[in-house]
Amino acid sequence: MIAKLTSSERQNALVLAVIVALAGAAMAILGRSDVLGVHGLIVMIFAGVVIYLIMASFYEPEPTEDREASYYDDPIKAGIVLAMVWAVFGMFMGVWVAAQLAWPDLAFDGAWSSFGRLRPTHTTGVIFGFGGNALIATSFHVVQRTSRARLAGQVSPWFVLLGFNLFCVLAVSGYLLGVTQSKEYAEAEWYADLWLVIVWVTYFILYIATIARRKEPHIYVANWYFMAFILVVAILHIVNNLALPVSWGHAKSYTIWPGVQDAMVQWWYGHNAVAFFLTAGFLGMLYYYLPVRAQRPIFSYRLSILSFWGITFFYMWAGSHHLHYTALPHWVQTLGMTFSVMLLVPSWASAGNALLTLNGAWHRVRDDATLRFMMAAAVFYGLSTFEGSFMAIRPVNALSHYTDWTVGHVHAGALGWVALITFGSLYTLVPVLWKRERMYSAALIEVHFWLAIAGTLIYVFAMWNSGIIQGLMWRTYTEEGALAYSFVDSLVAMYPYYIARAFGGLLFLIGAVVACYNIWMTVRAVPAAAPRATDIPATTVAVPGE
Amino acid sequence: MAEIERDPVTDRETTGHEWNGIKELDTPVPRGVLMFLIVTHIWAIAWWFLVPAWPLGTTYTRGLLGVDQRTTVEAQVAEGQQQRSAWTTKLETEPYDEILADESLMRTVRDTGRQLFGDNCAACHGRDGKGSKNYPDLTDDDWLWGGGPEMIEQTMRVGINTAHPESRIGQMPAFGRDDMLDRDQVRNVAAYVYSLSHSDYSTADNIDRIDAGREVFLTTCAACHGEDGAGNREVGAPNLTDGHWLYGGDLDTIIATVHGGRQGHMPTWEKRLSNADIRTLALYVHDLGTEQP
Amino acid sequence: MSDTVHRKLERSAIGFVIAIIAAASVGGIVEIAPLFTIDETVEQAPDMRVYTPLELAGRNIYVREGCYACHSQMIRTLRDEVERYGPFSLAVESQYDRPMLWGSKRTGPDLARIGGKYSDFWHVAHLNNPRDVVPESNMPAYAWLARTPLKTDDLSDHLAAQRALGVPYTDEMIENAARDAYGQATPDTDYAAGVTERYGEATQVSAFDGVTTKVTEMDALVAYLQVLGRLTDAAYRETAAAEEAPASQE
Ligand code: HEC
Ligand code: HEC
Ligand code: HEC
Ligand code: HEM
Ligand code: HEM
Ligand SMILES: [Ca+2]
Ligand SMILES: [Ca+2]
Ligand SMILES: [Cu+2]
Repeated sequence: MIAKLTSSERQNALVLAVIVALAGAAMAILGRSDVLGVHGLIVMIFAGVVIYLIMASFYEPEPTEDREASYYDDPIKAGIVLAMVWAVFGMFMGVWVAAQLAWPDLAFDGAWSSFGRLRPTHTTGVIFGFGGNALIATSFHVVQRTSRARLAGQVSPWFVLLGFNLFCVLAVSGYLLGVTQSKEYAEAEWYADLWLVIVWVTYFILYIATIARRKEPHIYVANWYFMAFILVVAILHIVNNLALPVSWGHAKSYTIWPGVQDAMVQWWYGHNAVAFFLTAGFLGMLYYYLPVRAQRPIFSYRLSILSFWGITFFYMWAGSHHLHYTALPHWVQTLGMTFSVMLLVPSWASAGNALLTLNGAWHRVRDDATLRFMMAAAVFYGLSTFEGSFMAIRPVNALSHYTDWTVGHVHAGALGWVALITFGSLYTLVPVLWKRERMYSAALIEVHFWLAIAGTLIYVFAMWNSGIIQGLMWRTYTEEGALAYSFVDSLVAMYPYYIARAFGGLLFLIGAVVACYNIWMTVRAVPAAAPRATDIPATTVAVPGE
Repeated sequence: MAEIERDPVTDRETTGHEWNGIKELDTPVPRGVLMFLIVTHIWAIAWWFLVPAWPLGTTYTRGLLGVDQRTTVEAQVAEGQQQRSAWTTKLETEPYDEILADESLMRTVRDTGRQLFGDNCAACHGRDGKGSKNYPDLTDDDWLWGGGPEMIEQTMRVGINTAHPESRIGQMPAFGRDDMLDRDQVRNVAAYVYSLSHSDYSTADNIDRIDAGREVFLTTCAACHGEDGAGNREVGAPNLTDGHWLYGGDLDTIIATVHGGRQGHMPTWEKRLSNADIRTLALYVHDLGTEQP
Repeated sequence: MSDTVHRKLERSAIGFVIAIIAAASVGGIVEIAPLFTIDETVEQAPDMRVYTPLELAGRNIYVREGCYACHSQMIRTLRDEVERYGPFSLAVESQYDRPMLWGSKRTGPDLARIGGKYSDFWHVAHLNNPRDVVPESNMPAYAWLARTPLKTDDLSDHLAAQRALGVPYTDEMIENAARDAYGQATPDTDYAAGVTERYGEATQVSAFDGVTTKVTEMDALVAYLQVLGRLTDAAYRETAAAEEAPASQE
């Protein structure tokens, strides 16, 4: 991990880790009568492990080679491993909460294991743990390759990666302990939020500094998306999480935003977490790994421009579609609805751009499950954005809101788009990073592909059915003009779908486990390829101009 | 850096850039996309003119249609009331016995009562009205306060043991805990009460206890439950002889009841449900109770 | 290739960053800032009261347990919701809510007007094991709440933090927070009087979990559930809905 650091860099890393450990100690002391104290201990343990790792090879020989002549891939490798660990954890939690809705006794009478506490460990585990690590890892890879420059820092990539994972650990352990702000997709408490600001600003600086060193005059589209992802998530995160802790010794805080304003801020954040975390970042991935794997040029540069700016501008207006018919004023809802529909154009433009890029490579899609992952991801991306724009229309939302239809939409995006594009990208990236000729087993990729597709379809169809049935039952009137069903009637109708969904999710989880095995065996077993002479940073400065 | 090339598959030019092997074609934005963009924009602008949309400092554009979600829903609710008035007027104005005789109106009551019962009463009395421990069965035609629709309506309006000024008060005192009876007396009277519904309990072994309990019952309990233990609907005292139990009819539970007392709480519905809803439910519950054999 | 505007932008990392910030800021500013400047966004409700310390503690338990993951507290302006749950929710009803708990999923029913609908006794039984009273339910059991004593010693800090953010708690309320929490759950003690004095006659003082000797998390959560929808009558006054406010407590 630190073999490539000079001794002064090792010292810096050590100092950083010690500072974090001291911060943990401060939390443990200040919060001794509160769960904050437990989190202080977790921070100390985390920092302790890092200190141990640094110390273990502190006096090893320093790197001799010219580091600038190679890409910095170690943090990327660690990021991929972490992403897969979180994938299995997060999806296991998903299967567990899904099963709890069908068989509520699966909470085993524990406080920590009840649905309300496990659910955010699932969403945080998959979005931030799995998605976030995959984004950090691939963005580090993409920015170096498309800039032909090594990352602009030696310690900072590790700081970003490990710091981010510390945030995830604090968030997830917090929910189990009962520490939460309840803000969807931002449940972590104030101190974890503050820590993430530090990590994220470092990420941004590192990213921009690397781009600034690029040997290409133009910034590639993938980096536009990664920059938008990093930048906008920072803005969203800070504004949404402004809060006043009860005291320095309390884990609990109260958000500064009251009632209706809080609702708008939360969904401005929540919707754009979808937009810039789950969409922009992964479009960055798609823009690199899909053309590489298909060996085709991007279908249209100009369409890329239209989609990028359309997505960046329109998405930010759409958050209020989560609040249709609520106490949020009608005018904001109208803006949310109209911008969501306009948003469909750039969304489909990106999906179309991806699919048209495959023109001339359809035979590869047929034969190569890795590329098929990415193709299917683009299709699901198109589907879920269409569905999203449709659900954003007020009368449609009147039916879909509060029901499983939303959950179906979420997972069409999350499983079909986010997870599939990630798996496709990782299958492309892993052999490159570990300098292998190919993945350990193409057959296992094929198996994974079909497990993932079957799981997604079962999940999504189950939730469409249950959501629409639920929504219709709530609003069905008898001929006499009275409501036809009670709430519990609709609940009873949900059980078969809850069972089906848990099964679909289980298939998807098994697929992820298969991927872990395949990646592991690739790293361990497949013979190394001859080093690729071309996979090194450019040393000559690019010619300014075209 | 690469030079501008021509892609053999699509016959398009590339932009002339290359990033680690990735190139881009210079394909113009397809006309369909532009059309789509225009159409969605026109659609959006139309909405902005028609309904509340844009903020203007301290106010916002109201839209040409002059609608707002609140006025819209109020109109819809009023319309629903209007639609229902076809039968709710009758329901609210006619006396219960006439309604009970009106087959078609009673069908409506059964139809609509099911949802009202399910959303308001089922939490305690069960979806089928059969109740559960601590919550009375409403289908067994055994009533604390009376099963006529008027009585049920009254029970629903004021509730039982609530803060409503006219609440029905059904208090089973805590004879044991409040030291009105000693331990043995409690056990004896419980044995007696148990024997009322279990004739086989009066064996030679128990007969002394039961007799002693009978004494206590007549002096202490009869005031509410009646000398024969058949209950009194004036004070909501249940019939203790019929084998229907609210809190449980085993000896231990009866002892617990006499020792600690009981004050079941039935909420008031006067302010939560409309007059028509209450009358619908009164009939529905009455129907549940009398339908049974 | 002609040097278009975008071609230039693509060559400047800083320029690109600024352009992204500019494009991404507009929507949020236009939609959020006016919510503070347009007065009618939050209705007037002079009768609105603040949460008592016990209710606030209960609210925090509701947050902690993630009840919002299954329950909304937002009756939408739709006929079926108004007819099932009561008058649609107003912005003012959550004006002291930090965070708001409107929710986004109804695995269980809406709770915006659950206050007073059921007895304390029912809530306790239901939270201990929902399937005891509603056999069809898939809600988790929260049996440990009744076993866990409520932490009251820091309630003053909670109220003070809320006041710093603009919730009108008085000095007296802050000072007496722990006592009032205890008093609200122990009707027969001297502490109970202070609660009605400070938070109004309509405040429900009750042995929520049926045990008067100690104050548990169950007390707090039930106290919170019983006040939902009853902090103000505004929703009943402002709308044409026929219902009246369930103002008086059971
Ligand atoms: C919070 C729980 C609860 C809910 C909800 C509830 N009830 Fe009850 N109900 C009770 C209890 C407890 C009793 C018995 C009171 C007693 O012990 O005296 C009762 C008693 C009754 C009785 C009197 C039975 C008799 O034998 O005289 C009627 C009638 C009744 N309920 C109807 C309804 C209707 C109709 C609804 C719905 C609108 C409803 N209840 C909702 C708890 C509830
Ligand atoms: C002041 C009136 C009053 C007196 C005196 C009284 N009861 Fe009761 N009893 C009630 C009421 C009212 C209830 C119903 C309580 C409820 O529904 O919550 C009841 C309920 C009961 C029950 C529970 C029935 C069931 O279905 O679970 C038993 C058993 C009982 N009484 C026995 C006795 C005995 C034995 C005595 C004398 C020692 C007695 N009661 C004296 C009013 C009285
Ligand atoms: C897994 C989803 C789930 C979670 C988590 C959950 N509930 Fe529920 N809740 C339900 C369902 C389903 C119902 C309807 C069936 C029933 O009454 O149990 C319900 C019903 C209720 C009701 C009765 C509502 C009515 O109008 O009948 C209350 C009150 C309630 N829940 C409170 C809570 C509280 C407080 C928490 C957290 C401590 C919580 N719930 C957590 C699913 C959930
Ligand atoms: C193994 C596969 C998965 C299963 C079984 C699963 C299951 C679930 C369940 C049961 C819920 C709660 C729904 C409810 O409250 O009714 C949920 C919510 C959610 N899941 Fe998953 N999930 C899986 C994978 C994923 C992945 C890979 C992602 C993201 C990348 C994801 C993102 C989410 C999100 C964002 C929500 C919250 C939805 C909302 O609030 O509307 N899930 N999931
Ligand atoms: C054009 C693009 C999209 C639009 C307009 C859109 C719109 C919507 C709408 C209307 C809802 C329902 C809100 C509600 O009723 O509560 C929703 C929920 C959601 N969408 Fe999308 N969506 C889009 C794309 C996506 C994509 C690609 C994902 C990727 C995973 C996604 C993830 C989610 C999530 C996680 C939620 C649940 C939020 C919650 O917790 O309630 N969406 N979206
Ligand atoms: Ca947070
Ligand atoms: Ca949600
Ligand atoms: Cu959204």
